Amino acid sequence: MTMMKRRTALLGISALAFAASMPAFAQEKTVTLAAYSGIFQDHYTKAVVEPFMKAHPDIKVQFYGMPNSAQMLGTLRAQKASPQIDVMIMDVSVAKAATDEGLFDKVDESVSKHVADLYPAARAEGVGGVGVTFDNLVLLYNEDQVKTAPTSWNALWDKQYAGKVAIPAVPDIQGTTLTIIANKMAGEEDYKKTVEPGIKKLGELAPNVQTWDPRPDVYTPIANGQAALGIGWNARAQVYSDAAGSKLGVALPEEGSGFQINTINLVKNSPANDAAKTFIDYALSPEAQAAFTEAMFYAPTNSKAQEKISKEALARTAAGSMDDMIGIDWIAVAGIRDAITEQWRRRVIPLSR
Amino acid sequence: MTAITASAPPAAPRLALGRTGTAIALLLPIALINAIGFILPVLNLLRMSFNEALAGGGVRETVTFENWTGLFGDSFYVELILNSITVSLSITLATLVVSYPIALYLHRSTGRWRTFLTVLVISPLLTSAVVRTYGWIALLADQGPIVSGIAALGFAPPRLMFNTTGVIIGLTEILMPYMILSLLAGFGRLDPRVEEAAMSLGAPPIKTFWRVILPLTVPGIALGCLLCFVLAVSSFITPKLLGGGRVFLLATEIYDQAIVTLNWPLAATLSMLVLIIFGAALAVYARILRAID
Repeated sequence: MTMMKRRTALLGISALAFAASMPAFAQEKTVTLAAYSGIFQDHYTKAVVEPFMKAHPDIKVQFYGMPNSAQMLGTLRAQKASPQIDVMIMDVSVAKAATDEGLFDKVDESVSKHVADLYPAARAEGVGGVGVTFDNLVLLYNEDQVKTAPTSWNALWDKQYAGKVAIPAVPDIQGTTLTIIANKMAGEEDYKKTVEPGIKKLGELAPNVQTWDPRPDVYTPIANGQAALGIGWNARAQVYSDAAGSKLGVALPEEGSGFQINTINLVKNSPANDAAKTFIDYALSPEAQAAFTEAMFYAPTNSKAQEKISKEALARTAAGSMDDMIGIDWIAVAGIRDAITEQWRRRVIPLSR
Repeated sequence: MTAITASAPPAAPRLALGRTGTAIALLLPIALINAIGFILPVLNLLRMSFNEALAGGGVRETVTFENWTGLFGDSFYVELILNSITVSLSITLATLVVSYPIALYLHRSTGRWRTFLTVLVISPLLTSAVVRTYGWIALLADQGPIVSGIAALGFAPPRLMFNTTGVIIGLTEILMPYMILSLLAGFGRLDPRVEEAAMSLGAPPIKTFWRVILPLTVPGIALGCLLCFVLAVSSFITPKLLGGGRVFLLATEIYDQAIVTLNWPLAATLSMLVLIIFGAALAVYARILRAID
């Protein structure tokens, strides 16, 4: 018994000494950040999470990677009674659904003063969070099979690539974005009014299409030559095209493109609320935005970040062609998405059999 | 199944209570696991199928039959359901046709040769369906050996991948081990002496097959077909990888609705429908077994 007592006492003393020598450690808070796994996680950890932890030694950020926004929403719904996640980076239209279900708190200027510097597109009406990255649809090509870099989306319609085109079809939002671009190419500027011309134009593209569901993603079959042309997101395409020996070419066509927006959201009743706000503030800062653009070529959402980004990196985002970008109101698109999906399934995909 | 209850010997009344107690105690853990891990989630799904889906992925708790009526009022979904059933039946039939001779040969072989062949038949199960599907992608691709071989013979190169043909080829191969094992399990009544008797009485080989061998192997066929049909309806990875977004099946649609469109109520409704189809398949199976007995 005395042995036990002595040992306990010793343990207590050493614990006290330990705590006294490392006050920061004793008060450390953990922020759980849920965002995309894979290359997003790798680059975001290096460009944003690690520098943040260096600047805030008392906050530890745990990155919880998930493959897509839908899975994040599912996890959030399941944890509604006692959330385990503090901050979530997800697609804006899914964030809208989560906000409507009361899963997010509002991110405004009281959370981060940087909110005032964000581009208007990054502050979507009715969404709890704000935009943290901009991405845009690009034309992908295999450099062996397409010798000169295409400059127009029309390359997809070129008969010489029949059976060699990979398109992620709706309900994937890459397909939705292509619908809006095709609609504009066919002369209809307002997709909210009608997408009929776009659907017709996509019907003419259908016979060229090899797969509507490229796997594991659209970049792989084009990089390895199974397909010659396709559509994908700029940031990922840029990173994959940098890989040693990669045959993946990326082009931002002259007709312009449309943005995809990832938002950063504060989970309602999150366990580390104050530390989470500190992280969101950092993620929206010009420094963090610039660092992530340099790392992965997402365009910054903070208007003050541009001047901190190298010309080379900026040229590989859509930041230089803002005027050609179609402003896509993803919240409005969510309302017409089912109708677009139905049109694709009845009038586009069947034409490719 | 009926055999088990029939073969239980009548126990003395004094013992019966103890025995029932033991049986309940033994069944309780698995019953509990099943209740928590299967029945509760299924009830949850059933409840979800009566909720209302909001545009953009939201779910509103209510009681509406819209998901169910919408399903049968929409020609796309009616076609999708029929397509799922016919594709799965085609896969089951193709698997049966290619597996039957192999199973019959295996049943008749003996000794080490039989062990070796059995291991050979089961060995594909050691690699995952994903890996085997990617193998089929390499084989069936437009530049792949099969298509270029057909083209070299002077025929128009067919499309073997990213369509229903590709899904049927891939799933047939993937389900073959299950079919062969089920057939072997059901071949118990097939006695070589019965075949010999038929032949010695003057039946030609084809007649022996149709009149003697086939009827005796019906239990194995029924079991194999039930298993393969259920696996084909619920398989997701192979149709996703080989279908190229052109083949709309129940399993891939459930994925799209649950993960991409976020229409959980519709995904739940489709999942319940798959369960109903499984129930129907089981009923047909039970009926066949009863007919043989």
